[in-house]
Amino acid sequence: MELRLSEVTKNYEKVTAVDGISCTLTRGVYGLLGVNGAGKTTLMRMLCTLQKPSSGKITWEGQDIFEMGGAYRKLLGYLPQEFGFYPEFTVYDYLLYIGSIKGLRPAAARQRAQTLMKQVGLFQERNKKMRKLSGGMKRRAGIAQALLNDPAVLILDEPTAGLDPNERIRFRNLISELSEKRIVLLSTHIVSDVEYIAGRIFLMKGGRIVLSGTAEELTDCMAGKVWDCLVPGEKTGMYLKKYKVSNVKSVHGGSQLRILSEEPPAAGAVPEKPSLEDVFLYYFGEKAGDEDVPV
Amino acid sequence: MFRFEIKKVFSRTGSRIALGMLVLILAVICWFAADVSYVNEKGDTEQGLSAVRSLREAQKEWAGVVDEEKVRQVIRENTRIRNSPEYRSEDVRQQEIAYSWGQGIMDLRRLLNCFYEENFRSYDYYLADGLSEEDAPEFYGNRVRLLREWLSGEAKDQFSDAEKEYLIREYEELKTPFYYDYMKGWEQLLEYSPTVIMITVLILGYLVAGIFSGEYQLKADAVFFSSLYGRNRATAAKVQAGFAIVTGIYWVQIALYTAFVLLYLGADGANCPVQITLWGWKCFYNISLWQAYGLAVLGGYLGCLFLTFAAMLTAAKSRSAVLAVIVPFAAIFLPSFLSDIPWQNLGKVLALLPDRLLQVFNALPLFELYNFGGRVAGAIPILFVVYVVLTALLPRVIYEVYRRTK
Ligand SMILES: Nc1ncnc2c1ncn2[C@@H]1O[C@H](COP(=O)(O)OP(=O)(O)OP(=O)(O)O)[C@@H](O)[C@H]1O
Ligand SMILES: [Mg+2]
Repeated sequence: MELRLSEVTKNYEKVTAVDGISCTLTRGVYGLLGVNGAGKTTLMRMLCTLQKPSSGKITWEGQDIFEMGGAYRKLLGYLPQEFGFYPEFTVYDYLLYIGSIKGLRPAAARQRAQTLMKQVGLFQERNKKMRKLSGGMKRRAGIAQALLNDPAVLILDEPTAGLDPNERIRFRNLISELSEKRIVLLSTHIVSDVEYIAGRIFLMKGGRIVLSGTAEELTDCMAGKVWDCLVPGEKTGMYLKKYKVSNVKSVHGGSQLRILSEEPPAAGAVPEKPSLEDVFLYYFGEKAGDEDVPV
Repeated sequence: MFRFEIKKVFSRTGSRIALGMLVLILAVICWFAADVSYVNEKGDTEQGLSAVRSLREAQKEWAGVVDEEKVRQVIRENTRIRNSPEYRSEDVRQQEIAYSWGQGIMDLRRLLNCFYEENFRSYDYYLADGLSEEDAPEFYGNRVRLLREWLSGEAKDQFSDAEKEYLIREYEELKTPFYYDYMKGWEQLLEYSPTVIMITVLILGYLVAGIFSGEYQLKADAVFFSSLYGRNRATAAKVQAGFAIVTGIYWVQIALYTAFVLLYLGADGANCPVQITLWGWKCFYNISLWQAYGLAVLGGYLGCLFLTFAAMLTAAKSRSAVLAVIVPFAAIFLPSFLSDIPWQNLGKVLALLPDRLLQVFNALPLFELYNFGGRVAGAIPILFVVYVVLTALLPRVIYEVYRRTK
């Protein structure tokens, strides 16, 4: 089980959306983390054979995926970022239809659809029309759809967008379970989505992977660059301008700041254990997102 | 897959409304087609089924071979009516009574107006009144004579010698004497067939336009094309669904229309030649009424398939259902605007546009001819050949275009 990208590049007229990415994916969960426009969707669409790279090659077990065609798509499950469905179909019908175009036999499709509806918590809604589902429920139907053919390569473009915290936890557990026998690549803006479940995290910026590693590896390289210090209220503004600050908390007598800096930013600053959010902020330069405000 | 494609089409509210409209419009057309009136001997106008019965009865009395003797009888009967005091009366009711007597020979009297015309292109409603029984023997000969005179006079430069010969030969080959029967059912059926067919095509165009643009509009294309069968079987299922919907609805529509009109007005006269009608007396295709109707509905089906496939192709290429819906509209309505362009070969082009297939009824009596290395053929057979080929190719083209989209 090996999906290999070599020097994969995608140029649009003006921008290079994906710029010479090389990596090898094997069994496990991969998190693709990046700001808007980093090129995540473009990369994923190429992995789903929806777009051809301008240059470079993508191979599955050594074979070019575009040459494999159906043989590769058979192994593929994809949840697009802009996930469209058939509004007048019921959830169940929708899954049966996608099952049929994925080549499942009707009986197998029925069974699989029922199992998945239970797994993603849509069984109660199975006879509801898709257009009547809430945003998060639609997303869950999308996840179920991607899993119908029990794919070896599961590609999820922002699967957690619109899910409530309960569902997000449930989703994380589902993905962990699923990753035992397949490659899962998921993109997100939300650090906590991948922090615990992704075996490997790619930080993507301007079409390139600027950093990759396990969550520990990424945080380790930030060791000694995260500081906690208490500053007087009137100086808070100055610190915010000068440093990348990952957290501000008003406390009695001033502000408690979490600052990213090579040197101690102030006397009395205490080194902190870096988190993945700190890494994100450090590399992407702006304010890191919290759970519900994507960057 | 096929089943779900069909389901996608009919689950849209718009499609259901369109189907409802189709049924409604068909009902209206049937109502028009069934509009027959009859004036009884008291001079009162009857409507509805009783009028149909009376008219049929009156015309059945004149059914039979239209030989010289029959022509004589018609002229005699017409003269009798014209000379009756009722006909000459100033009183409207008396006139109506006189009219009522003429309903049995109405069709044949009209034919006299045509065949004894001075000139191929004129029509005089009162011409039959000036005929006498001595004119009867010239009845069939007149038709060919009028054509010959027209071809050597007014239309001298319109046709090549081969075409002229062809027309005259076809005219001479027409089997005479005609057989006459009550034929209101077939006449009405033919007359309204273009309307039924065109409306059906427009609505079918609307129904199938979404098959190939729906995924893009709904943004469901990514899942579709990244699936195992997205670029082959599922695309083929779309083409098949389009074909099935068009075929099913077209023939149900035609069956309903035909059954209603023929059951209501009667199917008598199926074997009468088209040349026995006012509409078709000049027609150089020597066919009967039922054959003409057969051509009309088959042509309609072919045209319908061609235009709806063209709409599907447009949708597959442009990803827009709106553009696709416009295709059948343009095909039906543009040719009438084009006809104003002053270009000598325009007629030859217009006669082969797909809208002609939808209105075989209107195209049958036209003198549209084509030459191929000395052989002459009429536009209708050429239309059929050309569009059978094109229509057979289109599904493949749609399939290839759609499956290759990026
Ligand atoms: N079809 C296209 N034509 C031209 N440019 C495009 C197209 N699709 C994407 N881009 C550009 O490519 C770059 C990468 O876009 P992409 O959608 O891959 O980013 P992303 O990481 O998925 O962003 P987001 O987090 O907003 O989903 C952007 O600059 C975008 O404007
Ligand atoms: Mg994206």
